Amino acid sequence: MTLPLLVVLSLLNGCAEKEKFIVYGSTQNESEVEALIKEEDYVDRSTVIQYDDSMLVAVQIKPLEKWKKTKLEKKLQKKFEKKYPNKDVFVSADYKIFYEANKIKKDQMEDTKLSDKITELKELAKEET
Amino acid sequence: MVILFQTKPSLLAGGVVAGPLENRSVFSQYFDSVYDDERWQMKTNEQGHRKMIEEACEYAMKKMGVQKGDIDYLMGGDLVNQMTPTNFAARDLEIPFIGLFSACATSVSSVIIACLLTELGAANFSLAGASSQHNAIERQFRYPINYGAQKPQTAQWTVTAAGYALIGKHREEYPSIEAATIGKSVDYGMDDPFHMGAAMAPAAFQTIQSHLQQRNQKIYHYDLILTGDLGQLGLKLLKGMLVENGVKNEELTLLRDAGAEFYGQDEAFQSGASGAGCSAAVFFSYVIQQMRAGSYKRVLLVATGALLSPLSYQQGETIPCTAHAIEITMK
Amino acid sequence: MEKEQYQQLEQNVTPKPPYLKNVAKAFFVGGFICAIGQAVSLFYIIFFNFTEATAGNPTVATVVFFSMILTGLGLYKRIGQFAGAGSAVPVTGFGNAVVSAAIEHRSEGLVLGVGGNLFKLAGSVVLFGVVSAFFVALIKYILVTIGVVSW
Repeated sequence: MTLPLLVVLSLLNGCAEKEKFIVYGSTQNESEVEALIKEEDYVDRSTVIQYDDSMLVAVQIKPLEKWKKTKLEKKLQKKFEKKYPNKDVFVSADYKIFYEANKIKKDQMEDTKLSDKITELKELAKEET
Repeated sequence: MVILFQTKPSLLAGGVVAGPLENRSVFSQYFDSVYDDERWQMKTNEQGHRKMIEEACEYAMKKMGVQKGDIDYLMGGDLVNQMTPTNFAARDLEIPFIGLFSACATSVSSVIIACLLTELGAANFSLAGASSQHNAIERQFRYPINYGAQKPQTAQWTVTAAGYALIGKHREEYPSIEAATIGKSVDYGMDDPFHMGAAMAPAAFQTIQSHLQQRNQKIYHYDLILTGDLGQLGLKLLKGMLVENGVKNEELTLLRDAGAEFYGQDEAFQSGASGAGCSAAVFFSYVIQQMRAGSYKRVLLVATGALLSPLSYQQGETIPCTAHAIEITMK
Repeated sequence: MEKEQYQQLEQNVTPKPPYLKNVAKAFFVGGFICAIGQAVSLFYIIFFNFTEATAGNPTVATVVFFSMILTGLGLYKRIGQFAGAGSAVPVTGFGNAVVSAAIEHRSEGLVLGVGGNLFKLAGSVVLFGVVSAFFVALIKYILVTIGVVSW
């Protein structure tokens, strides 16, 4: 029970400004991706994982914008697909995906495992009930 | 009409048994037994309720050294559907029995009937009283015990207690019943089952007024007028009604309510205590003992009862109430 | 004394329910229960493979389990007396309604007692919950069809 409490506390404290938008994996287009997300002012924090030609965009939406979460998710998905048509982009605003994306970065996950993990997360995000 | 008892039947003894929470009652020192298990180690609340009645009757008999074979009649009731706890207790006590229902006024209505039987010469000894068991009654009238509904400040707490009195032919050294008034069923349009004091106060008022008028008495002729379970708010309302009718403020101190005083000032019990066992427990312990000790010479006991059922208030009916009074004197 | 006159007296004597205090208590206790729910939800998201969308079910089950324990220990009614709607409206209140009825009617046996009375209090919550959910969905569907809002 103490761990989730710590998580809640850390969420309340907020993260330092520089950690708000993270890009991990290949450094390709790093600043471009970051700028692309920063354009959208409803995004509070984001972590992007890049591996080969797949791209996992995990975002957290600002509290009062969360009413339109699925809508904003789709909007961002379209934006990325348009920008990177030859990449397999997946956008999610779910906390679980965001948490796992950060974990990938924190653990410095190796490339071989990365692709499996991303597929796994994509499937998880599609689960319904 | 007031009933005058020529032979003045006596309240020979009282037996009062109460549940664990009633340890917190200001009257608990007068009770014969305060049991620490609200079910009396039986399987269900209703069985505990029955056991409690039996024990109260046994205490009353034991005090006068009589056996259950000596008792001619048992008069009593409770608030459970069809009064099974009292009916079942009567089965085990093996005493000729009539179950009475006047809701929480049963403690006095049963005494009135027992006195009439004594007056008639039909009974040497009879037992009269009433009882209630919190869990069994709450479930009957309101929600399950563990349901977290908020009770308003006007609500009252059903006590777990049984009070039975042993009534016999007149004896000088015991408190005796001189007169009684059987109340009408009074309805002033109150319909809140969580505000019973307001529903019952007019009934108490009418019974007291009618008793005093026909007996040609004033409130100050009594040392104590004790109502059953109006609660703090109901008592206030009764006093308010009496003041409107020209009763002086200093006389109002003679008026007390068993329900309002039962748990002291404990706010956990909201407006005070209620239940058939409330008036029975206080009348047949505290009052009898105080009268025998000589603290009071003339007392008017007014038990009040709200004659509602869960069905009636769900169907939107108002709550008719009754109050029965007995005038007890001590030489 | 006339009935109207008595009702007047009754109005004067009866204390007004402390609405503001009750609202504040309900707000904080209700909020606290929801915070516990959020913590449980995060617990499932972080330590198990649940997403925000799927963590709801195990969270509800867990919170209802907590309320069940509290009801069994006789503590929930005390919280209820203090908090009023604050502890009745969250799903824990639903759990309390079901469990308290089950405990109450255990003495009449499992089938007629517990089974027959389990939804004595919660039954109307289930019924009106389903009915109102249907109508809300219907309204939303109509609005989406006309194009006022989107899903």
